[in-house]
Amino acid sequence: MKGLVYQLKSVRKDKFCIMSFLLPVMVAILMNAAGSIDLSSLGELQFGVIAGDVTSETERWLERYGSVMVCQTREELILSVNDPSTNLIGVEMDKKGIKTMLSGDELAVWQQTAQTLPALYRHRKKAAQADVQILERPDILAGYQHIFPAMTLVAAMFMGCTFTAMNIISEKEDGIAFINEILPISAKEYLLQKIFIGFVFGCLSTVVTAAVCFRLSPARAAAMLALILLSAFAASLAGVFVGRLSDGMMEGVVYIKIVMIVFMAVPLLNYLAAEGNKVLTLICCLVPSSAAFEGIMALADGSESGAGKDMVILAVHCAVWFLLYLSLAKRRKKR
Amino acid sequence: MDAILEKDANGVGIDAGDGRPDVVLYAGSEKVDRHRADYALSLLYSGSPYTPETVGGNTPEMKKRKEITCELLFIEIVAVGFLGIASVLFKEKQMGVIRIHAVMPLHRSLFIFSKVFLFLLTDLVFAVLLTVLNVGAAGMGNFLPAVLVQTAILSLAMALTGFGCAMVLRDFKQFSLAYLVIALFATAPVFLTANTPVKMAWARYYPFYQVYMGLKNAFFGTAVTSPVYYVCAACVIIPLFGIVFAAFSREMGREG
Repeated sequence: MKGLVYQLKSVRKDKFCIMSFLLPVMVAILMNAAGSIDLSSLGELQFGVIAGDVTSETERWLERYGSVMVCQTREELILSVNDPSTNLIGVEMDKKGIKTMLSGDELAVWQQTAQTLPALYRHRKKAAQADVQILERPDILAGYQHIFPAMTLVAAMFMGCTFTAMNIISEKEDGIAFINEILPISAKEYLLQKIFIGFVFGCLSTVVTAAVCFRLSPARAAAMLALILLSAFAASLAGVFVGRLSDGMMEGVVYIKIVMIVFMAVPLLNYLAAEGNKVLTLICCLVPSSAAFEGIMALADGSESGAGKDMVILAVHCAVWFLLYLSLAKRRKKR
Repeated sequence: MDAILEKDANGVGIDAGDGRPDVVLYAGSEKVDRHRADYALSLLYSGSPYTPETVGGNTPEMKKRKEITCELLFIEIVAVGFLGIASVLFKEKQMGVIRIHAVMPLHRSLFIFSKVFLFLLTDLVFAVLLTVLNVGAAGMGNFLPAVLVQTAILSLAMALTGFGCAMVLRDFKQFSLAYLVIALFATAPVFLTANTPVKMAWARYYPFYQVYMGLKNAFFGTAVTSPVYYVCAACVIIPLFGIVFAAFSREMGREG
């Protein structure tokens, strides 16, 4: 117990660890404050007209299809059409009809719209007489809305790895690692003390982040807590391996970044690209964050039992990596 | 028709069973749906093909090439260049180079100039090579000088920031977190606002957005001509140099 208190004391003075703890919480608060960004207008058409050139009726007609930007001069309109961040279509009156203007670097869909817009304007009265039946379809993006919070949670869990790794590397740099070698402490005790730091702070950071990101029923909250405990333990174990492998701080930071990228990219790859591909899914399962991410997504989607399989995978990860470290430590001691 | 529409929810069906064309489609967004319906109806009427007036000089491929070159250049300077100068200085701090400079008969600003100009030069060379390889040498003379001006502004600002961070922060561990925050917060809103129609109102007060747009506009042949922009850039770089000079002097004092 005394050892654990010393471990906590060493973390308290480390600004890096404190900021690592707060970063995911801050991101979660920002996401909550900003709400979900409305991306529905991204696919809409954008038109540009010259003030006084088009009639108000034409402007209203264009507004049926998208947003209309009014420019004061033709030069201003050309500049807006050429703006590389938009796909603005310039519209001018041409006798009784309209003519369009393009930059020439737009994708085919915008070019086709500009080519057909004058014909649509010509036939606008006929089009208004037709009946349009719009059928409801499920929101194809609904499943993706939990990706950001889930990734933030994975990042928060990963902070446990940073805590543990940094703690071990600092001890190595200060020469405390040599003292640890001769202390009357078993490899298991040492490992548990080191994991404790990352585990406690990883758990705390993830629980606060989860509380900000999700509103869960008690049953799902309990399942989420179990997931967090297992994931934070696995992440902290990963930190022990990073600490053991790194000889200096710079090397350690590089390893941590690599582990972070793997922890975040593999679950995303598994979720977005590996559907139906059993081999790829199995490979992805070798990274603990994959199971954690899947479990979080299942709980966020309302499933209470969906995270069971992921908890088992995480528990296996924890046991296997823990035993692997102990066997490596034993072999090292023998040598 | 229902079966085909179910398979391709983006398609539009026209039911002319009662002699009058009626449109059936799956919902997307309101304005896009209107356009899809009217476009489908317009296909029923004959008409001569129409070609819109083209006012730009880029093809879709060239636009993509220029965009990706601009993004790579921006990321390289903001993230990699910033990290580069800081890691070099942390290493030199460890090796005692700053302590040696404290007793050398050289003005302190020369040390800062030597580091910053080295990184400026490498960034300029990188910008030229990246542009030649990615966009091509043809017509490069029209936009490259403007690109280099924007690269120089960004490079000076980031190199000085990296220098300042290396002097103020205790070790590379602390810097790596500051780096993560700066790289993330500098690039994410810029790319969202500059590359998509999502426009954040506050972006125009955000210096990174202004420099990114300056760089992007330079690539697309519409370089920033407003003197206010360049005055603001100078107003950022000169005080940054002052802050870095003070931090460097303090660090020298601390090193003895």
